[in-house]
Amino acid sequence: MKSNIIPFHAPTSSVTVRRLHADTITLTRDSHAMLTCTISGDALPYRGVCALLLFPISRPDEWVSLRFTDATDKDREIGIIEDLRAFPEDTQQLIRESLARHYHEQKIVSIVSIQQRYGQLFFKVRTQRGEEEFVTPWRQDRAEDWGTSGRVLLDALNNRYLIPDMNALKPRELRLLRTYIYW
Amino acid sequence: MNAPASSPSPLLRQLPAGFDALHCEFEDVLFCLPVDLTLNGETTSAWLMVSETTCAVAAMQADAVMVQSGPFHLDHADKARLLQTVGSAFLQLRIDGVYVNVARFSNGLREMHGRGVTQIKRLLAGDAFQDEALTSKSETICSDCGMALPAAKAPCPRCTRKGGIFTRTLGLMRPYWSSILMLLGAMIVGVALDLVPPILTRYLVDDVITPKANLHWLPWILGGLVAAALFSTALNVLIGRTTSFVGTRITKELRERVQTKLLGLSVDYYNRNSAGSLMSRVMGDVEYFQSFVSQVAQGFLLNVLLVLGIGTTLFVMNWKLALWVMVPIPFVLLGTMIYWKVVYPRYYRVWDSQSKMSQSLHGLLQGIRLVKAFGQEEREQERFAKSAAYVQASKRSLEMSAATFNPMMGFVFGLGGLIVWNAGGRDVLDGHITLGTLMAYFGLLGRFYSPVQSLSNFSSWVTGFIAAGQRVFEVLESNNQLEQPEQPKTIKRMQGRIELRNVTFGYDPYAPILKNVNLTIEPGQFVGIVGKSGSGKSTLVNLVCRFYDPQEGQVLIDGVNVRDLAENDLRKDVALVLQEPFLFRATIAENIAYGRPEADPISIVHAARAASAHDFIAKKVAAYDTRLGENGAGLSGGEKQRLSIARALLTDPRVLILDEATSSVDTESEQQIQEALAHVCKGRTTIAIAHRLSTLKNADVIYVVDDGRIAEHGTHDALVESNGIYAKLVKIQTELSRLEAA
Ligand SMILES: Nc1ncnc2c1ncn2[C@@H]1O[C@H](COP(=O)(O)OP(=O)(O)O)[C@@H](O)[C@H]1O
Ligand SMILES: [Mg+2]
Repeated sequence: MKSNIIPFHAPTSSVTVRRLHADTITLTRDSHAMLTCTISGDALPYRGVCALLLFPISRPDEWVSLRFTDATDKDREIGIIEDLRAFPEDTQQLIRESLARHYHEQKIVSIVSIQQRYGQLFFKVRTQRGEEEFVTPWRQDRAEDWGTSGRVLLDALNNRYLIPDMNALKPRELRLLRTYIYW
Repeated sequence: MNAPASSPSPLLRQLPAGFDALHCEFEDVLFCLPVDLTLNGETTSAWLMVSETTCAVAAMQADAVMVQSGPFHLDHADKARLLQTVGSAFLQLRIDGVYVNVARFSNGLREMHGRGVTQIKRLLAGDAFQDEALTSKSETICSDCGMALPAAKAPCPRCTRKGGIFTRTLGLMRPYWSSILMLLGAMIVGVALDLVPPILTRYLVDDVITPKANLHWLPWILGGLVAAALFSTALNVLIGRTTSFVGTRITKELRERVQTKLLGLSVDYYNRNSAGSLMSRVMGDVEYFQSFVSQVAQGFLLNVLLVLGIGTTLFVMNWKLALWVMVPIPFVLLGTMIYWKVVYPRYYRVWDSQSKMSQSLHGLLQGIRLVKAFGQEEREQERFAKSAAYVQASKRSLEMSAATFNPMMGFVFGLGGLIVWNAGGRDVLDGHITLGTLMAYFGLLGRFYSPVQSLSNFSSWVTGFIAAGQRVFEVLESNNQLEQPEQPKTIKRMQGRIELRNVTFGYDPYAPILKNVNLTIEPGQFVGIVGKSGSGKSTLVNLVCRFYDPQEGQVLIDGVNVRDLAENDLRKDVALVLQEPFLFRATIAENIAYGRPEADPISIVHAARAASAHDFIAKKVAAYDTRLGENGAGLSGGEKQRLSIARALLTDPRVLILDEATSSVDTESEQQIQEALAHVCKGRTTIAIAHRLSTLKNADVIYVVDDGRIAEHGTHDALVESNGIYAKLVKIQTELSRLEAA
């Protein structure tokens, strides 16, 4: 059945946000491992559902937005979950897996070296998956704030390298980083 | 390791080695692309394999092929897309109405898969597979060295070094080689002259003063000293004048070149670089090049000559003493190297802080009314104080390191002098050398150490210069320009037929804003475009004006792709009026005549009349001669808009595009403008984007843009009839105007 998501008829208006509650939604995985979300009261289930965080840094377990792509390729919000922890284990599991697909970044455990050549910074870092290297232009938009004391470094191709807490770095590494990423 | 990001495209045209087990399914494999993530985000080294009928992702695991996802039969799919998420992206196929994940990869592989998706889409649509499109030159990775480029289509910083900033700067100096040669000649003579006084002093001491003899030599020796001093003064004047002649010329020319280059860069470049940072390049960084000649000639070459010339003389006069003289040199070299490493990032920081400060000040002055309106003066003050403190801190750290370094070097040199006193003094007492030799030695010693010290100062200039040079060359060598056609087509007389064919475009190539837009505007039509803000209306006209090129599809004017059109033709015949009008610091007349400076007064007045601006201009004391302030200060929003419409009308464009150009004009004037436009727009294609729908009542066609797509089109009446998005908007607006009227 191709068209069971047409027309879009979620009872959300453009002014109010729909909150989803644990007792009204059911999540299942379809044959292609995509999520299907059934909400009691809604005529049809939502298929191809993805989750994303509305406050990914400050509230990683709360305010999850469930979304899907409608038949006209528009990205739509089904509703939001205020607190993930209020949901049954298996639902939580499915949503967390979906979130893991939405976010991809390497956590920097330590900084091995930084070199500056022709306006490019060559990083050698250790992340949770081992030692890796990346290149990025020495430019302000390549390091974003992440929470109060964290930083996300973006390489030239926009891959993300997270330093969750700058103060947790060793003094030598922090000095090295600050030499270049001073803003 | 996301190795594929840094190695050239490892695209395959056959199954990867060891994948024979899949042979029956992928007999007719078209291409295979590397995949570096599993769907759950773990690192993998798998392949996406695509054949005419099937695609799948598989990897080698313990000598066996493991299919990680798929196989998906393309027959079951109707669409394909690349979905960008945070830090990675997915290739998806729509099967049974749901987008299904096929492959996941890090952003380094995004471009390659973007091309893959385009081909998969072609397969789904039954179009022919374009093999060569997969391997066209990468925009994000240098095709020569494999390094990721700092920005799409940017020059590779590693490969375009061309021997570095210095060699490139020398390239800029080529037109001045004769002056520079003269400089060098003068400098060599100067070095030779520098050797004269100490040698004469030696004769003075040893042959005249000490033996109290040969008194008749005295005037000659003194005369020689005076002549040498005079001659070297004259040389210094010559050198100084030449360097400043060459230096200022270079600065001027370079500044012009940077500015010309900036004008040629695409709008996209300006989205990426702040006005403040560009401004400080044209103003500050270029300034460094002025001193290039003097620094390289006097700061470097001259000092090297002096060190060599005087060093040799020292050795010739007394090699044992000369060895003592050399003792401080290694320390100086070491110190300089450390200094370099510490100070280089600080130069960047100073530049950054200054460009940020000028940026914030610029923004503040532009938005002064907003600041006042929201009563945010204090916060702005704090913000500025912060950025001023940043400038201070960065300058302090830079200058403090210089302030520490230079005296320390002075001390080291001072020690060198003491060593020579010690060793040389003993030699004189023991009678090994004469007092005159020692005196001459000290004369030369000063002349030897001071160039060595200048050389270390030169190194601190170099650090600043390299940082500045890098930024200047970054602009000069950027090729963030829209490709110009090799043989531009010209349209003799533009009719104004505009066509968008299957246009898909996003500012980020993987996040389309306009999606498969098709529309045709006939010559002379008056076309309205409506839609929510953010729906892509301005983006659409940006493409017609060719500020950007679409990723897919074509924009045609009179049947010619705008990519093939001479830029001049396009700009001459297509005029754009923006919602935020930009006015220059000039008179009203000059502003209106900006696109046609030779326009006679009557056409200026006509244009103003048509834009319903004539009356308010006439009422000004100096009428058309009224000087406007910064960006039209002194005019109301609606007046500014009317001036910019007049400016566009004066160029008599074949296509006139009004992007919410009457949004700040009151309803009555708008109606006047409408009537005037209806009059002057006869035979002219007009595209009007408007929020106020009454503006578009008379439009031949109205296109309703919704989320980057044309959702409806038709005349006002037809659209109201059909009861869609447009009808809803009309209803809301009539409601509003009734409320206003009440
Ligand atoms: N220079 C830009 N860079 C990136 N995104 C942009 C840029 N300009 C506009 N956008 C985005 O494109 C979308 C359409 O914008 P626009 O065409 O200006 O809408 P409107 O219909 O209001 O004129 C918006 O979501 C906007 O955020
Ligand atoms: Mg707009």
